[in-house]
Amino acid sequence: MKALIKKELRLSASVLAYIFIAFGLMALIPGYPILCSVFFITLGLFQSFQYAREANDTVFTALLPVAKHDVVKGRFLFTVFIELCGFLLMAAMTLIRMTLLADSVIYRHNALMNANPFFLGMALLLFGLFNLIFVGGFFKTAYNFAKPFVTHIIVCFLLIGVAETLHHIPGLQALNAFGFEHPVLQFSLFLAGLLAYVLLTLLSYNKACKDFEKIDL
Amino acid sequence: MNIVELKNVNKNYPAFRLQDVSFALEEGRITGFIGRNGAGKTTTIKSMLNLIHTDSGEVSYFGLPLLQNESEIKKRIGYSTGTVSWYPRKTIREITEVTKSFYPGWDEEAYRKYLALFGLEESKKPIELSEGMKVKFNLLLALSHRAEVLILDEPTSGLDPFSRDELLGLFTTLKSHGVTIFFSTHITSDLERCADDIVYISHGRIKAACSKADFLRDCGKEGETLEEVFLRLEREAAE
Repeated sequence: MKALIKKELRLSASVLAYIFIAFGLMALIPGYPILCSVFFITLGLFQSFQYAREANDTVFTALLPVAKHDVVKGRFLFTVFIELCGFLLMAAMTLIRMTLLADSVIYRHNALMNANPFFLGMALLLFGLFNLIFVGGFFKTAYNFAKPFVTHIIVCFLLIGVAETLHHIPGLQALNAFGFEHPVLQFSLFLAGLLAYVLLTLLSYNKACKDFEKIDL
Repeated sequence: MNIVELKNVNKNYPAFRLQDVSFALEEGRITGFIGRNGAGKTTTIKSMLNLIHTDSGEVSYFGLPLLQNESEIKKRIGYSTGTVSWYPRKTIREITEVTKSFYPGWDEEAYRKYLALFGLEESKKPIELSEGMKVKFNLLLALSHRAEVLILDEPTSGLDPFSRDELLGLFTTLKSHGVTIFFSTHITSDLERCADDIVYISHGRIKAACSKADFLRDCGKEGETLEEVFLRLEREAAE
Protein backbone atom coordinates (compact mmCIF):
# COMPACT_ATOMS: atom_id res chain seq x y z
CA MET A 1 0.00 0.00 0.00
CA LYS A 2 2.78 2.42 1.03
CA ALA A 3 4.72 1.63 -2.15
CA LEU A 4 1.60 2.10 -4.25
CA ILE A 5 0.94 5.56 -2.77
CA LYS A 6 4.62 6.48 -3.24
CA LYS A 7 4.37 5.51 -6.90
CA GLU A 8 1.20 7.56 -7.39
CA LEU A 9 2.71 10.62 -5.74
CA ARG A 10 6.17 10.46 -7.33
CA LEU A 11 5.69 8.87 -10.73
CA SER A 12 2.07 8.97 -11.85
CA ALA A 13 1.05 12.44 -10.69
CA SER A 14 1.26 15.58 -12.77
CA VAL A 15 2.70 18.52 -10.88
CA LEU A 16 -0.45 20.44 -11.84
CA ALA A 17 -2.54 18.21 -9.55
CA TYR A 18 -0.51 19.55 -6.62
CA ILE A 19 -0.46 23.17 -7.81
CA PHE A 20 -4.21 23.19 -8.48
CA ILE A 21 -4.90 22.33 -4.83
CA ALA A 22 -4.25 26.04 -4.28
CA PHE A 23 -7.56 26.77 -6.02
CA GLY A 24 -9.06 25.90 -2.64
CA LEU A 25 -8.06 29.48 -1.71
CA MET A 26 -10.76 30.69 -4.07
CA ALA A 27 -13.21 30.24 -1.20
CA LEU A 28 -11.93 33.65 -0.05
CA ILE A 29 -12.78 35.49 -3.28
CA PRO A 30 -15.78 37.77 -2.76
CA GLY A 31 -18.46 37.98 -5.45
CA TYR A 32 -17.25 34.82 -7.15
CA PRO A 33 -18.94 31.41 -7.55
CA ILE A 34 -16.63 29.77 -5.03
CA LEU A 35 -17.74 26.22 -5.83
CA CYS A 36 -15.73 26.62 -9.05
CA SER A 37 -12.68 25.87 -6.91
CA VAL A 38 -13.84 22.23 -6.91
CA PHE A 39 -13.82 22.23 -10.69
CA PHE A 40 -10.28 23.61 -10.86
CA ILE A 41 -9.01 21.01 -8.40
CA THR A 42 -10.58 18.27 -10.52
CA LEU A 43 -8.99 19.87 -13.58
CA GLY A 44 -5.60 19.26 -11.96
CA LEU A 45 -6.60 15.65 -11.39
CA PHE A 46 -7.66 15.36 -15.03
CA GLN A 47 -4.20 16.59 -16.05
CA SER A 48 -2.69 13.95 -13.81
CA PHE A 49 -4.73 11.17 -15.44
CA GLN A 50 -3.63 12.45 -18.84
CA TYR A 51 0.02 12.55 -17.76
CA ALA A 52 -0.17 9.03 -16.31
CA ARG A 53 -1.74 7.66 -19.49
CA GLU A 54 1.02 9.12 -21.66
CA ALA A 55 3.62 7.62 -19.28
CA ASN A 56 2.15 4.09 -19.68
CA ASP A 57 1.46 4.16 -15.97
CA THR A 58 -1.44 1.69 -16.01
CA VAL A 59 0.54 -1.16 -17.60
CA PHE A 60 3.64 -0.36 -15.52
CA THR A 61 1.59 -0.60 -12.33
CA ALA A 62 -0.18 -3.76 -13.45
CA LEU A 63 3.23 -5.39 -13.95
CA LEU A 64 4.40 -4.53 -10.43
CA PRO A 65 3.84 -7.12 -7.69
CA VAL A 66 0.32 -5.96 -6.98
CA ALA A 67 -3.08 -7.39 -7.84
CA LYS A 68 -4.67 -5.94 -10.96
CA HIS A 69 -7.33 -4.12 -8.94
CA ASP A 70 -4.57 -2.34 -6.99
CA VAL A 71 -4.03 -0.19 -10.10
CA VAL A 72 -7.54 1.16 -9.44
CA LYS A 73 -6.93 1.44 -5.72
CA GLY A 74 -3.75 3.49 -6.22
CA ARG A 75 -5.46 5.94 -8.52
CA PHE A 76 -8.46 6.34 -6.20
CA LEU A 77 -6.20 6.88 -3.19
CA PHE A 78 -4.31 9.59 -5.06
CA THR A 79 -7.55 11.24 -6.22
CA VAL A 80 -9.03 11.23 -2.72
CA PHE A 81 -5.75 12.59 -1.31
CA ILE A 82 -5.74 15.57 -3.70
CA GLU A 83 -9.45 16.19 -3.15
CA LEU A 84 -9.05 16.14 0.63
CA CYS A 85 -6.08 18.52 0.45
CA GLY A 86 -8.18 20.91 -1.63
CA PHE A 87 -11.14 20.41 0.67
CA LEU A 88 -9.10 21.13 3.81
CA LEU A 89 -7.89 24.35 2.26
CA MET A 90 -11.46 25.30 1.35
CA ALA A 91 -12.60 24.37 4.87
CA ALA A 92 -9.87 26.54 6.41
CA MET A 93 -10.89 29.52 4.24
CA THR A 94 -14.54 28.91 5.09
CA LEU A 95 -13.74 28.89 8.78
CA ILE A 96 -11.95 32.23 8.41
CA ARG A 97 -14.99 33.66 6.66
CA MET A 98 -17.30 32.23 9.34
CA THR A 99 -15.29 33.67 12.22
CA LEU A 100 -12.80 36.47 11.63
CA LEU A 101 -14.56 37.80 8.54
CA ALA A 102 -18.15 36.95 9.56
CA ASP A 103 -19.19 40.59 9.54
CA SER A 104 -17.09 41.74 6.62
CA VAL A 105 -19.12 44.03 4.38
CA ILE A 106 -17.53 42.67 1.24
CA TYR A 107 -18.91 39.21 2.03
CA ARG A 108 -22.21 40.41 3.43
CA HIS A 109 -23.04 42.21 0.17
CA ASN A 110 -22.56 39.18 -1.95
CA ALA A 111 -25.27 37.96 -4.33
CA LEU A 112 -23.46 34.68 -4.78
CA MET A 113 -23.09 31.71 -2.50
CA ASN A 114 -21.57 32.28 0.91
CA ALA A 115 -18.75 30.12 2.33
CA ASN A 116 -20.45 28.03 5.01
CA PRO A 117 -20.98 24.33 5.90
CA PHE A 118 -23.57 23.99 3.11
CA PHE A 119 -20.92 25.16 0.62
CA LEU A 120 -18.48 22.56 1.99
CA GLY A 121 -21.15 19.85 1.74
CA MET A 122 -21.80 20.82 -1.87
CA ALA A 123 -18.06 20.74 -2.56
CA LEU A 124 -17.88 17.18 -1.22
CA LEU A 125 -20.89 16.19 -3.32
CA LEU A 126 -19.15 17.57 -6.43
CA PHE A 127 -15.93 15.72 -5.61
CA GLY A 128 -17.95 12.53 -5.11
CA LEU A 129 -19.66 12.99 -8.46
CA PHE A 130 -16.25 13.55 -10.10
CA ASN A 131 -15.10 10.24 -8.64
CA LEU A 132 -18.20 8.53 -9.95
CA ILE A 133 -18.37 10.13 -13.39
CA PHE A 134 -14.76 10.77 -14.32
CA VAL A 135 -12.61 8.32 -12.34
CA GLY A 136 -15.14 5.50 -12.64
CA GLY A 137 -15.73 6.41 -16.30
CA PHE A 138 -12.00 6.32 -17.03
CA PHE A 139 -11.65 2.78 -15.69
CA LYS A 140 -14.26 1.46 -18.13
CA THR A 141 -11.49 1.60 -20.75
CA ALA A 142 -8.38 2.72 -18.81
CA TYR A 143 -7.51 5.09 -21.67
CA ASN A 144 -10.56 7.14 -22.68
CA PHE A 145 -11.11 10.11 -20.40
CA ALA A 146 -12.54 12.71 -22.80
CA LYS A 147 -16.18 11.63 -22.55
CA PRO A 148 -16.14 11.17 -18.75
CA PHE A 149 -14.52 14.57 -18.30
CA VAL A 150 -16.97 16.39 -20.57
CA THR A 151 -19.81 14.72 -18.66
CA HIS A 152 -18.18 15.83 -15.41
CA ILE A 153 -17.92 19.44 -16.65
CA ILE A 154 -21.62 19.53 -17.56
CA VAL A 155 -22.79 17.96 -14.28
CA CYS A 156 -20.38 20.05 -12.20
CA PHE A 157 -21.46 23.41 -13.64
CA LEU A 158 -25.14 22.48 -13.59
CA LEU A 159 -24.87 21.71 -9.88
CA ILE A 160 -22.85 24.86 -9.22
CA GLY A 161 -25.66 26.78 -10.94
CA VAL A 162 -28.27 25.04 -8.81
CA ALA A 163 -26.28 25.63 -5.59
CA GLU A 164 -25.86 29.31 -6.46
CA THR A 165 -29.59 29.65 -7.18
CA LEU A 166 -31.11 27.82 -4.22
CA HIS A 167 -30.67 30.54 -1.59
CA HIS A 168 -32.51 33.04 -3.83
CA ILE A 169 -35.65 30.89 -3.66
CA PRO A 170 -38.05 32.14 -0.94
CA GLY A 171 -37.78 29.93 2.16
CA LEU A 172 -34.28 28.71 1.37
CA GLN A 173 -32.36 31.81 2.45
CA ALA A 174 -30.98 29.85 5.41
CA LEU A 175 -28.73 28.00 2.99
CA ASN A 176 -26.71 31.18 2.65
CA ALA A 177 -26.03 31.47 6.40
CA PHE A 178 -23.31 33.77 7.71
CA GLY A 179 -21.09 32.87 10.64
CA PHE A 180 -22.73 30.10 12.68
CA GLU A 181 -26.35 30.94 11.81
CA HIS A 182 -28.75 27.99 11.35
CA PRO A 183 -26.23 25.51 12.73
CA VAL A 184 -28.49 22.43 12.65
CA LEU A 185 -29.49 22.93 9.01
CA GLN A 186 -25.98 23.92 7.94
CA PHE A 187 -24.14 21.04 9.61
CA SER A 188 -26.82 18.54 8.55
CA LEU A 189 -26.25 19.59 4.94
CA PHE A 190 -22.50 19.32 5.42
CA LEU A 191 -22.84 15.80 6.80
CA ALA A 192 -25.16 14.88 3.92
CA GLY A 193 -22.45 16.07 1.50
CA LEU A 194 -19.81 14.08 3.37
CA LEU A 195 -21.98 10.96 3.29
CA ALA A 196 -22.64 11.44 -0.43
CA TYR A 197 -18.89 11.78 -1.05
CA VAL A 198 -18.08 8.56 0.79
CA LEU A 199 -20.89 6.60 -0.85
CA LEU A 200 -20.25 7.87 -4.38
CA THR A 201 -16.51 7.22 -4.07
CA LEU A 202 -16.99 3.68 -2.73
CA LEU A 203 -19.61 2.93 -5.36
CA SER A 204 -17.32 4.18 -8.09
CA TYR A 205 -14.30 2.31 -6.70
CA ASN A 206 -16.11 -1.03 -6.55
CA LYS A 207 -17.47 -0.63 -10.06
CA ALA A 208 -14.08 0.52 -11.40
CA CYS A 209 -12.39 -2.58 -9.90
CA LYS A 210 -14.90 -4.84 -11.66
CA ASP A 211 -14.63 -2.95 -14.97
CA PHE A 212 -10.84 -2.85 -14.87
CA GLU A 213 -10.58 -6.59 -14.20
CA LYS A 214 -12.21 -7.21 -17.60
CA ILE A 215 -9.96 -4.83 -19.53
CA ASP A 216 -7.18 -6.10 -21.79
CA LEU A 217 -4.08 -3.99 -21.29
CA MET B 1 9.94 -29.32 -11.81
CA ASN B 2 7.51 -27.12 -13.72
CA ILE B 3 7.87 -23.53 -12.57
CA VAL B 4 5.30 -22.06 -14.93
CA GLU B 5 2.35 -23.84 -16.43
CA LEU B 6 -0.32 -22.74 -18.89
CA LYS B 7 -3.35 -24.99 -19.34
CA ASN B 8 -5.83 -24.53 -22.17
CA VAL B 9 -5.62 -20.74 -22.27
CA ASN B 10 -8.12 -19.26 -24.71
CA LYS B 11 -8.65 -15.69 -25.76
CA ASN B 12 -10.95 -14.52 -28.52
CA TYR B 13 -10.51 -11.22 -30.32
CA PRO B 14 -12.66 -10.22 -33.30
CA ALA B 15 -9.82 -10.97 -35.72
CA PHE B 16 -7.64 -13.36 -33.74
CA ARG B 17 -7.95 -16.37 -31.46
CA LEU B 18 -5.52 -17.79 -28.96
CA GLN B 19 -6.58 -21.43 -28.86
CA ASP B 20 -5.93 -23.94 -26.09
CA VAL B 21 -2.46 -22.67 -25.33
CA SER B 22 -0.76 -25.16 -23.01
CA PHE B 23 2.90 -25.54 -22.14
CA ALA B 24 5.16 -25.67 -19.12
CA LEU B 25 8.53 -24.15 -18.25
CA GLU B 26 11.05 -26.16 -16.34
CA GLU B 27 13.19 -24.75 -13.55
CA GLY B 28 16.58 -23.40 -14.59
CA ARG B 29 16.07 -23.69 -18.33
CA ILE B 30 15.94 -21.15 -21.11
CA THR B 31 12.90 -21.39 -23.33
CA GLY B 32 12.62 -19.53 -26.59
CA PHE B 33 9.12 -18.57 -27.68
CA ILE B 34 9.03 -18.27 -31.41
CA GLY B 35 6.42 -17.39 -33.98
CA ARG B 36 5.97 -14.89 -36.73
CA ASN B 37 4.48 -11.43 -36.17
CA GLY B 38 0.84 -11.72 -35.13
CA ALA B 39 1.13 -15.41 -34.21
CA GLY B 40 0.07 -14.72 -30.61
CA LYS B 41 3.37 -14.40 -28.74
CA THR B 42 2.58 -11.11 -27.00
CA THR B 43 -1.02 -12.16 -26.28
CA THR B 44 0.28 -15.34 -24.65
CA ILE B 45 2.80 -13.40 -22.59
CA LYS B 46 0.13 -10.90 -21.54
CA SER B 47 -2.09 -13.76 -20.41
CA MET B 48 0.87 -15.09 -18.38
CA LEU B 49 0.97 -11.74 -16.55
CA ASN B 50 -2.78 -11.25 -16.13
CA LEU B 51 -2.65 -8.18 -18.36
CA ILE B 52 -5.46 -9.57 -20.46
CA HIS B 53 -8.66 -11.19 -19.35
CA THR B 54 -8.57 -14.70 -20.81
CA ASP B 55 -11.80 -16.45 -21.77
CA SER B 56 -10.73 -19.73 -20.18
CA GLY B 57 -7.71 -21.67 -19.02
CA GLU B 58 -5.29 -21.37 -16.14
CA VAL B 59 -1.83 -19.93 -15.59
CA SER B 60 0.16 -21.05 -12.57
CA TYR B 61 3.61 -20.29 -11.17
CA PHE B 62 5.44 -22.36 -8.57
CA GLY B 63 2.32 -24.56 -8.40
CA LEU B 64 0.11 -21.60 -7.44
CA PRO B 65 -2.66 -20.20 -9.66
CA LEU B 66 -1.79 -16.69 -10.85
CA LEU B 67 -5.22 -15.14 -10.32
CA GLN B 68 -5.38 -16.01 -6.62
CA ASN B 69 -1.72 -15.26 -5.87
CA GLU B 70 -0.97 -12.40 -8.22
CA SER B 71 1.09 -10.06 -6.06
CA GLU B 72 3.11 -12.85 -4.37
CA ILE B 73 3.92 -14.44 -7.73
CA LYS B 74 4.88 -11.13 -9.32
CA LYS B 75 7.46 -10.54 -6.57
CA ARG B 76 9.22 -13.69 -7.77
CA ILE B 77 9.12 -13.01 -11.50
CA GLY B 78 10.63 -10.36 -13.72
CA TYR B 79 9.13 -9.03 -16.91
CA SER B 80 10.49 -6.89 -19.66
CA THR B 81 8.91 -5.77 -22.86
CA GLY B 82 10.88 -4.50 -25.82
CA THR B 83 10.92 -0.78 -26.33
CA VAL B 84 7.99 0.47 -24.23
CA SER B 85 8.92 3.68 -22.50
CA TRP B 86 7.73 3.99 -18.89
CA TYR B 87 7.49 7.52 -17.47
CA PRO B 88 9.48 9.07 -20.32
CA ARG B 89 10.16 12.32 -18.47
CA LYS B 90 11.27 10.89 -15.13
CA THR B 91 14.89 9.95 -14.55
CA ILE B 92 15.98 6.34 -14.29
CA ARG B 93 16.91 7.10 -10.67
CA GLU B 94 13.37 8.28 -9.85
CA ILE B 95 11.71 5.30 -11.55
CA THR B 96 14.05 2.85 -9.85
CA GLU B 97 13.60 4.45 -6.42
CA VAL B 98 9.86 3.86 -6.61
CA THR B 99 10.04 0.45 -8.30
CA LYS B 100 12.39 -1.06 -5.75
CA SER B 101 10.02 -0.29 -2.88
CA PHE B 102 7.64 -2.91 -4.33
CA TYR B 103 10.23 -5.70 -4.11
CA PRO B 104 11.38 -7.00 -0.72
CA GLY B 105 14.09 -8.93 -2.59
CA TRP B 106 15.52 -5.93 -4.43
CA ASP B 107 19.22 -6.55 -5.10
CA GLU B 108 21.03 -3.19 -5.13
CA GLU B 109 24.33 -4.86 -5.98
CA ALA B 110 22.84 -6.58 -9.03
CA TYR B 111 21.17 -3.31 -10.02
CA ARG B 112 24.50 -1.44 -9.91
CA LYS B 113 26.20 -4.26 -11.81
CA TYR B 114 23.65 -4.31 -14.65
CA LEU B 115 23.48 -0.52 -14.71
CA ALA B 116 27.20 -0.47 -15.49
CA LEU B 117 27.01 -3.48 -17.82
CA PHE B 118 24.25 -1.88 -19.90
CA GLY B 119 25.96 1.51 -19.89
CA LEU B 120 22.91 3.28 -18.45
CA GLU B 121 23.11 6.55 -16.52
CA GLU B 122 20.72 7.11 -13.67
CA SER B 123 20.31 10.79 -14.50
CA LYS B 124 18.93 10.00 -17.97
CA LYS B 125 15.25 9.91 -18.79
CA PRO B 126 13.63 7.21 -20.96
CA ILE B 127 12.78 9.90 -23.53
CA GLU B 128 16.52 10.48 -23.98
CA LEU B 129 17.29 6.80 -24.57
CA SER B 130 17.59 5.04 -27.92
CA GLU B 131 15.27 2.10 -28.58
CA GLY B 132 18.02 -0.37 -27.68
CA MET B 133 18.79 1.45 -24.43
CA LYS B 134 15.08 1.40 -23.52
CA VAL B 135 15.17 -2.37 -23.86
CA LYS B 136 18.18 -2.44 -21.57
CA PHE B 137 16.46 -0.22 -19.01
CA ASN B 138 13.43 -2.52 -18.96
CA LEU B 139 15.75 -5.49 -18.54
CA LEU B 140 17.59 -3.71 -15.73
CA LEU B 141 14.38 -3.44 -13.68
CA ALA B 142 13.50 -7.07 -14.41
CA LEU B 143 16.93 -8.34 -13.38
CA SER B 144 17.39 -6.41 -10.15
CA HIS B 145 15.00 -8.12 -7.75
CA ARG B 146 16.26 -11.69 -7.66
CA ALA B 147 13.50 -12.94 -9.96
CA GLU B 148 13.27 -16.71 -10.20
CA VAL B 149 11.53 -16.51 -13.56
CA LEU B 150 12.16 -13.94 -16.27
CA ILE B 151 9.52 -13.39 -18.91
CA LEU B 152 10.95 -11.27 -21.67
CA ASP B 153 9.01 -10.09 -24.68
CA GLU B 154 11.43 -9.65 -27.57
CA PRO B 155 14.35 -8.64 -25.35
CA THR B 156 16.80 -8.61 -28.23
CA SER B 157 14.77 -6.34 -30.52
CA GLY B 158 16.55 -3.08 -31.22
CA LEU B 159 19.83 -4.26 -29.71
CA ASP B 160 23.07 -3.98 -31.64
CA PRO B 161 24.83 -7.33 -32.33
CA PHE B 162 27.34 -6.76 -29.54
CA SER B 163 24.67 -6.00 -26.91
CA ARG B 164 22.60 -8.94 -28.16
CA ASP B 165 25.53 -11.24 -27.72
CA GLU B 166 26.14 -9.87 -24.22
CA LEU B 167 22.49 -10.35 -23.29
CA LEU B 168 22.34 -13.92 -24.53
CA GLY B 169 25.53 -14.61 -22.59
CA LEU B 170 23.85 -13.09 -19.53
CA PHE B 171 20.91 -15.48 -19.99
CA THR B 172 23.31 -18.41 -19.76
CA THR B 173 24.88 -16.99 -16.57
CA LEU B 174 21.46 -16.45 -14.99
CA LYS B 175 20.45 -19.97 -15.94
CA SER B 176 23.50 -21.31 -14.12
CA HIS B 177 22.12 -19.55 -11.01
CA GLY B 178 18.84 -21.43 -11.39
CA VAL B 179 16.82 -18.67 -13.07
CA THR B 180 14.16 -19.82 -15.51
CA ILE B 181 14.02 -17.68 -18.64
CA PHE B 182 11.23 -17.46 -21.17
CA PHE B 183 11.79 -15.06 -24.03
CA SER B 184 9.93 -14.41 -27.23
CA THR B 185 11.75 -13.69 -30.43
CA HIS B 186 11.48 -14.02 -34.13
CA ILE B 187 15.24 -14.17 -34.50
CA THR B 188 16.15 -17.83 -34.77
CA SER B 189 19.84 -17.28 -34.12
CA ASP B 190 18.89 -16.20 -30.56
CA LEU B 191 17.44 -19.65 -30.05
CA GLU B 192 20.42 -21.38 -31.64
CA ARG B 193 22.66 -19.49 -29.26
CA CYS B 194 21.09 -20.16 -25.88
CA ALA B 195 17.67 -21.84 -25.81
CA ASP B 196 17.27 -25.26 -24.19
CA ASP B 197 13.59 -25.55 -25.06
CA ILE B 198 11.37 -24.16 -27.76
CA VAL B 199 7.73 -23.19 -27.73
CA TYR B 200 6.52 -22.59 -31.25
CA ILE B 201 3.26 -20.76 -31.87
CA SER B 202 1.49 -20.30 -35.16
CA HIS B 203 -1.93 -18.73 -35.80
CA GLY B 204 -2.72 -18.69 -32.07
CA ARG B 205 -1.98 -22.39 -31.52
CA ILE B 206 1.03 -24.01 -29.91
CA LYS B 207 2.57 -26.25 -32.56
CA ALA B 208 5.49 -27.48 -30.49
CA ALA B 209 6.69 -27.24 -26.90
CA CYS B 210 9.76 -29.39 -26.34
CA SER B 211 13.52 -29.35 -26.10
CA LYS B 212 15.43 -27.81 -28.99
CA ALA B 213 16.92 -31.19 -29.88
CA ASP B 214 13.50 -32.87 -29.90
CA PHE B 215 12.11 -30.06 -32.00
CA LEU B 216 14.81 -30.44 -34.62
CA ARG B 217 14.41 -34.21 -34.61
CA ASP B 218 10.59 -34.23 -34.79
CA CYS B 219 9.91 -31.24 -37.03
CA GLY B 220 13.12 -30.80 -39.00
CA LYS B 221 14.48 -32.60 -41.99
CA GLU B 222 18.03 -33.72 -42.29
CA GLY B 223 20.52 -30.87 -42.60
CA GLU B 224 17.92 -28.16 -41.86
CA THR B 225 18.80 -25.30 -39.53
CA LEU B 226 16.25 -23.98 -37.03
CA GLU B 227 15.49 -21.07 -39.33
CA GLU B 228 14.88 -23.38 -42.27
CA VAL B 229 12.57 -25.55 -40.17
CA PHE B 230 10.48 -22.53 -39.10
CA LEU B 231 10.30 -21.13 -42.60
CA ARG B 232 9.17 -24.47 -44.00
CA LEU B 233 6.60 -24.99 -41.23
CA GLU B 234 5.17 -21.49 -41.75
CA ARG B 235 5.00 -22.01 -45.51
CA GLU B 236 3.28 -25.35 -45.06
CA ALA B 237 0.78 -23.78 -42.65
CA ALA B 238 0.01 -21.02 -45.17
CA GLU B 239 -0.66 -23.47 -48.01
